[in-house]
Amino acid sequence: MNPKKLTIEKIQEALRKQKYICDRSLSTVIYLSMTMGKPVLLEGEAGVGKTEVAKVLAEVMETKLIRLQCYEGLDANNALYEWNYPKQMLRIKLEEVSRRDRDAVETQIFTEEYLIKRPLLEAIQSDGATPAVLLIDEIDRADMEFEAFLLEVLSDFQITIPEIGTIRAKLRPYVFLTSNRTREIHDALKRRCLYHWIDYPTFEKEYEIVTTKFPQIRAHLAKRICAFMQQVRQMNFYKRPGVAETLDWASALMTLNRHELDEKTVNETMGCVFKYREDLHHLREEVAGKKLDLGQMIKEQTEFQA
Amino acid sequence: MELSDEAILKAMDRFAAIREQGTLPNLLAFARVLKTAGLKVGLSQIIDASHSLEFVNVGSREDFRAVLRSNLISEKEEIATFDHIFDCFWQNRSPQGSPMQSAAAPEVSAEDETGESGDGEGSLEEVIAQVSDQEAENKEEEPFSVPTYSPVEARNRKDFSEMGMEESRAMSQAILLIASKIATQVSRRKKRGAKGDEIDPRWTMRRSIKYGGEVIELVSRKRRIKKTRVVLLCDVSGSMDCYSRFLIQFMYGLQNELWGVETFVFSTSLSRITHLIRTKDIGSALERIAGSVVGWSGGTNIGRSLSMFNREFAPSMVTHRTVVVIISDGWDRGDVSLLEREMQSVKRRCHRIIWLNPLLASENYEPLCKGMQAALPYLDLFLSVHNLNSLVALGRTLQKLVA
Repeated sequence: MNPKKLTIEKIQEALRKQKYICDRSLSTVIYLSMTMGKPVLLEGEAGVGKTEVAKVLAEVMETKLIRLQCYEGLDANNALYEWNYPKQMLRIKLEEVSRRDRDAVETQIFTEEYLIKRPLLEAIQSDGATPAVLLIDEIDRADMEFEAFLLEVLSDFQITIPEIGTIRAKLRPYVFLTSNRTREIHDALKRRCLYHWIDYPTFEKEYEIVTTKFPQIRAHLAKRICAFMQQVRQMNFYKRPGVAETLDWASALMTLNRHELDEKTVNETMGCVFKYREDLHHLREEVAGKKLDLGQMIKEQTEFQA
Repeated sequence: MELSDEAILKAMDRFAAIREQGTLPNLLAFARVLKTAGLKVGLSQIIDASHSLEFVNVGSREDFRAVLRSNLISEKEEIATFDHIFDCFWQNRSPQGSPMQSAAAPEVSAEDETGESGDGEGSLEEVIAQVSDQEAENKEEEPFSVPTYSPVEARNRKDFSEMGMEESRAMSQAILLIASKIATQVSRRKKRGAKGDEIDPRWTMRRSIKYGGEVIELVSRKRRIKKTRVVLLCDVSGSMDCYSRFLIQFMYGLQNELWGVETFVFSTSLSRITHLIRTKDIGSALERIAGSVVGWSGGTNIGRSLSMFNREFAPSMVTHRTVVVIISDGWDRGDVSLLEREMQSVKRRCHRIIWLNPLLASENYEPLCKGMQAALPYLDLFLSVHNLNSLVALGRTLQKLVA
């Protein structure tokens, strides 16, 4: 896709072609971010497709996806660049043997050849027709200090390496930050981003997602799966399943050649949806106690749709 | 925080004059109304929003909404308020005109905001039940005597229920001490240091470059002191009324001294107030909390509040590094088995649960009430907070246990 000829509709359409169903407000935010060069902060429950947005967008734009997975203790060395010390050491040792000019060696070992590029530097240096997509995943896992550091990089899109100089971005990458809200992101960083909250999908949207990802699935099975997931998300589970679980489950059911959601099938395949023993137990109780009545639920849902 | 329609109208009227002057003044007025509702909107965000509008077709209402929303807000909790104000503001073209259409629309209640009515089934019954529950509570409000000390005792022994603001400084210091204890944990990650447990080969190598590659200096590393996160759950039901000033100060102190504190208050249901008390100004924070928390001084349903917490917030906020602090007297009117189940669930998710009970101070107090007994097995610490001494003692205990 040509980054100069974007429209909201085109983005939505292109993402859909890559099997990512997004509503208009999300595509508006993506569009704005791409035209204005502002990062997007995506928040939402686990498994609603936050990371996926960036991945699919990179495919749509036919550009590189550079991913920075955040974790506790992530620092500039692992996010930006680091000198390749062992390689420098080797060089020094070799030069000692050949007894060449020391100053020359010194300048040589501080060149790009000895630089290990980490995601942020890579994103800034990337060149090509379209800007790269930079995904900073789960920013809430990184420390406060890293956030402050990121703020600096994201505002100027330039990095200063004392030994080499300042490297400026030729093309500003499209930046996506995701957060699971395990902690509050600092206001200063939030203010620089466009904010979007991805909610659990509605029945219609989830149905569309399932049928788009698995075109060969039978319509009534897809409906049942989605109706089930909608219901389950209203209930009190330790970990509510996201869209990722829906897709896993649909895929499992298709592999097993099951086309009906009866009690037996549900019990056998629930491992795709619930990952905690207590949740599985809870679900069995609900199904057995008819609190979660599969037949009734599907009837209601189809009526609602009609 | 939710504004009534009248309040929104009033705020809109204030800006009626400038609204005639085009999009930017209109946008500024809109941002002001958002601010009145407690949303944090900065000028830079408004400028960005107006800049963004150039790129989309403002004729489409939903695109217009998406543009403003993505620019002006930065938290999920603000979405409901934003949408409500958006509907009021951008519908009513002439401020003096007919009553707003949106006034007829069902007002977003505070429950909506916390997502409780999301469970659809019988929410009306639930509300009725809750109201009658509260009424019953008010009627038979136990002649509840607070275990206080005789008035001749030193100020340190004075209950927080009767403490004046001049003592608050001493208290803040005590809280600070506690805060630093609660929020500290030894990390598994290492940091470089002159004195440490083991050698850091990578940095030893790095340092040696300046000596031409000869290892002269050894760099070592040691375990880092890690900051934990704190989630504070505060009981603000009727039986805790006399401690409310202390509670507020405690919440305030903790939140502002520590990074990453999430604060909730509960009575019959739960409200997140982190964003309300983030400001430095305690007075205005109080106003905002009072305006937005339902059931302050009402009945208590710890089980249900915890269940809400577990469902809505815990999955994302509570990790193995989180310390959950519950301040409550344990007088619970809800289902004890629910409370027990939810305590178990919190316990499984978090690093430590600390229960602070103001009643514990009284010598003849035993945690007999059913709620307290159900919760007891899941607590890592069960301590008293009721006066300054107890706070200092709490600090010491924590030092031993947490460090």
